[in-house]
Amino acid sequence: MNKAMILNPTRPVWPGFSSSKSLCGDASCMEQLLLHCANAIESNDATLTQQTIWVINNLASSDGDSTQRLASSFLRALISRAATKSPAFSFLSAASASRETLHRFSVMELASFVDLTPWHRFGFIAANAAILDAVKGYSSVHIVDLSLTHCMQIPTLIDSMATQLIDKEQPPPLLRLTVVLAESPPPPLLGISYEELGLKLVSFATTRNIAMEFRIIYSSYSDGLSSLTEQLRLDPLVSNEALVVNCHMMLHYIPHETISSSRSSFLKELRDLNPTMVTLIEEDADFTSSNFISRLRSLFNYMWIPYDTADTFLTCGSEQRQWYEADVGWRIANVVAKEGAERVERLEPKRRWFERMRDAEFTGVGFGEAVEREVKAMLEEHAGGWGMKSDVDDSDDVERFVLTWKGHSVVFASAWVPMSRVDGCSYIEALEIG
Amino acid sequence: MPVDRENSSTVSGDASVVSSTGNQNPPPPKKKRNLPGMPDPGAEVIALSPKTLMATNRFVCEICSKGFQRDQNLQLHRRGHNLPWKLRQRSSKEVRKKVYVCPVSGCVHHDPSRALGDLTGIKKHFCRKHGEKKYKCDKCSKKYAVHSDWKAHSKICGTKEYRCDCATLFSRKDSFLTHRAFCDVLAQETANNHLTQTNLLFPQTLLLPDPEPHLKSPAAPPTSPPSVALPTKIASPSVLPVPSSSESPQDNPLEVIMEEEAIGFNVSSSGGISGDPTSNSNGTPRTLGFNMSSSVGISGDHSSNNNNGIYAGLFSSTSTASPSLYASSTPSTSPFPPPSSSMEPISLCLSTNPSLFGPTIQDPPPPHFLTPLSLPPPQPAMSATALLQKAAQMGSTGSGGSLLRGLGIVSTTSSSMELSSHDLGLGLLPCSSGGSGLKELMLGNSCVFGPKQTTLDFLGLGRAVGNGSSNPGGGLSALLTSIGGGGGMDVFGTAAEFSGKDIGRSS
Repeated sequence: MNKAMILNPTRPVWPGFSSSKSLCGDASCMEQLLLHCANAIESNDATLTQQTIWVINNLASSDGDSTQRLASSFLRALISRAATKSPAFSFLSAASASRETLHRFSVMELASFVDLTPWHRFGFIAANAAILDAVKGYSSVHIVDLSLTHCMQIPTLIDSMATQLIDKEQPPPLLRLTVVLAESPPPPLLGISYEELGLKLVSFATTRNIAMEFRIIYSSYSDGLSSLTEQLRLDPLVSNEALVVNCHMMLHYIPHETISSSRSSFLKELRDLNPTMVTLIEEDADFTSSNFISRLRSLFNYMWIPYDTADTFLTCGSEQRQWYEADVGWRIANVVAKEGAERVERLEPKRRWFERMRDAEFTGVGFGEAVEREVKAMLEEHAGGWGMKSDVDDSDDVERFVLTWKGHSVVFASAWVPMSRVDGCSYIEALEIG
Repeated sequence: MPVDRENSSTVSGDASVVSSTGNQNPPPPKKKRNLPGMPDPGAEVIALSPKTLMATNRFVCEICSKGFQRDQNLQLHRRGHNLPWKLRQRSSKEVRKKVYVCPVSGCVHHDPSRALGDLTGIKKHFCRKHGEKKYKCDKCSKKYAVHSDWKAHSKICGTKEYRCDCATLFSRKDSFLTHRAFCDVLAQETANNHLTQTNLLFPQTLLLPDPEPHLKSPAAPPTSPPSVALPTKIASPSVLPVPSSSESPQDNPLEVIMEEEAIGFNVSSSGGISGDPTSNSNGTPRTLGFNMSSSVGISGDHSSNNNNGIYAGLFSSTSTASPSLYASSTPSTSPFPPPSSSMEPISLCLSTNPSLFGPTIQDPPPPHFLTPLSLPPPQPAMSATALLQKAAQMGSTGSGGSLLRGLGIVSTTSSSMELSSHDLGLGLLPCSSGGSGLKELMLGNSCVFGPKQTTLDFLGLGRAVGNGSSNPGGGLSALLTSIGGGGGMDVFGTAAEFSGKDIGRSS
């Protein structure tokens, strides 16, 4: 009897076997193994850790199927955690050698990546539709784009503005785009400077007859983007200007309550700026547990998705897939091996984000049927496993969209407007009341 | 019988709702087409197992158990069995309408109230939703489970396409847009097409009425001051030909004074254009014109100072509005309105030194074609001019930019060009090349700028300029640097290259 069998008595795992799919190829088995390993690490049990690592190592592979590649990333992250955790694991320090550097994507590479999967396009379509609707009638539109994808959402927004906001009498509005440059941004990393990026965008906007300005503000997510909000407060008021804050998968980098109250204070400051609209698109998962094991479980139950979908849009063994999975691996390692302020991937589930927005005096607005159709049409163009659901949140009766993969929630999209402070009801209600 | 009737029931329950919506047409004989998934309440519900549903030979002969895909085929076959008359008839009982449900539980169409009325329909549904996608489009990556869906798609695949200038094809609009926004090829094109959009580069280009006044704060080169700080050292000194002395003053009162010094448009430098009246020995020629070519860096070929002179005093500096420059001869024809304060802005870079040409000028400035600024802004040429001007300015402390301005003026319209060249007696080169007097102007004799350049393009700046969109002076500076660096011949070629690559970096 070897330990491996003890670990999982229902499904004997023979350590001599190569990673045979039939034996332990499925995710739940792998999950159990990884949890065992994690437990061993947490209890500083070097022997058990070593054994579980060995077993997983035999099964995992960075070239195998999605479960194997997922396990391979997790294994590396676990080893890294153990090595930094205690001297008991010093035998692992060699194994936890530095990872490859992350690929810096050229603008074209990023543009095509964004297209290959609905992961980001979903949020782009929903947010752009909401933004376009909210800015009708304004002569100047100021967008603060806090996006993981470095303005990849903007060209389609510019095009929609050019085609839909045209009026016989009025020229299309002025577009002012503000982006934030942080010191060490999370992947995907961009290979060109933001200045160059801005130039291209402005040039493109010109071809669409949209006047555009581009501005970069240096700010840090770790302090709740305080320099950004400060700058926005200092911006002179422009008449008839709409302020839109588009948060695409970046707000979770603002520290959560276990570190500081930056997340809620940022939202409050945002509310103070009285934006015309705030769009919030985030991944729907919970990585905030302070208990490592439950965090690992949540992480596993979410991160299998990128590996699984990768098979549908990236060819096996291709460089692009390596880049993509390296970025995912970075995130896994961040949640597993880092603690404190270094652990930046603090995803919260959507109901928690919605609570925060409501606490910050925002009220949700729905996207509408037309957007739903558009999103569905977009999903048709991708692999069959993608879907979307329209969830109505109990607390505010607003429909929101969630992107799903094989039925599991992946990304949620929501739109918010400031709640009127006068009497606590939303602007819309206030209008109706008269 | 192969057809498993696992259950057969009448649609009930919600049928009442269904019927009200479904049975809208009064006359029963008329074949009603119910809404999809809202079956006739009196219909018979048939639930087939997946295997049966997908079976291809549903119609089976009761005698020999041979299966057929179609009922007609089965009937034809049965005739061959020579059945007695009685058995030949098909059952005469009234055929109830049949509706089908999807065998997959949890599916929308599994519920009898959402049954589909057509067997083919339910088969297709089952394949689409619950089946494996076996058919793949060869042009794109879409996959289909139903053969007819696949065929329908193949017909239209690739017909609606978006093509980027870099020759990449897209079937989706947003993919196309995202790509296009960042495509390098586009950047080049923009440069070519938006010659006039100097406003992108020069926020303060007042010339353009512009839509983009705000462009002044483009992202870009934070370091470059709005007024387009072009590198000063441009301009090969050799560019400017020796002043007029070689020319007979009479012919060309305005001579381009190609100062060796050049300037970088530092007109003031020597002679020629500088504000230093004394430098101009021959009274007449004023140093007015710089030879545009020089400013443009067209290369040092200008040994000949022939007529290029041209604009000479075109660029008077702001304040003085150069009345000094000018064209003696045709006062009224001057296309350019007298200098006005509007010149100021352009002169920004221009120099502080007003008018080189000031006092030296002998001829009254009647037609000041110098005042480009006052020219109606939208002229594309203006922007090129403005660019040149700026370029000129760059290094110049005082004098000069007028060359550019002059150039601009000239380039504004071909008519003006002509005026300038002929009527104004600017001494512009009589250009042989169609319409591009400017060309001559600039080059003096050497046609650096390729014959087919339009006036706008004559500097070839268009490409460099446009490129940078919001890069104020980036492209231009690149251009200018290249000018300074080498012969003018290369300028445009390199400028174009620069435009593609250096825009972002030039700051």
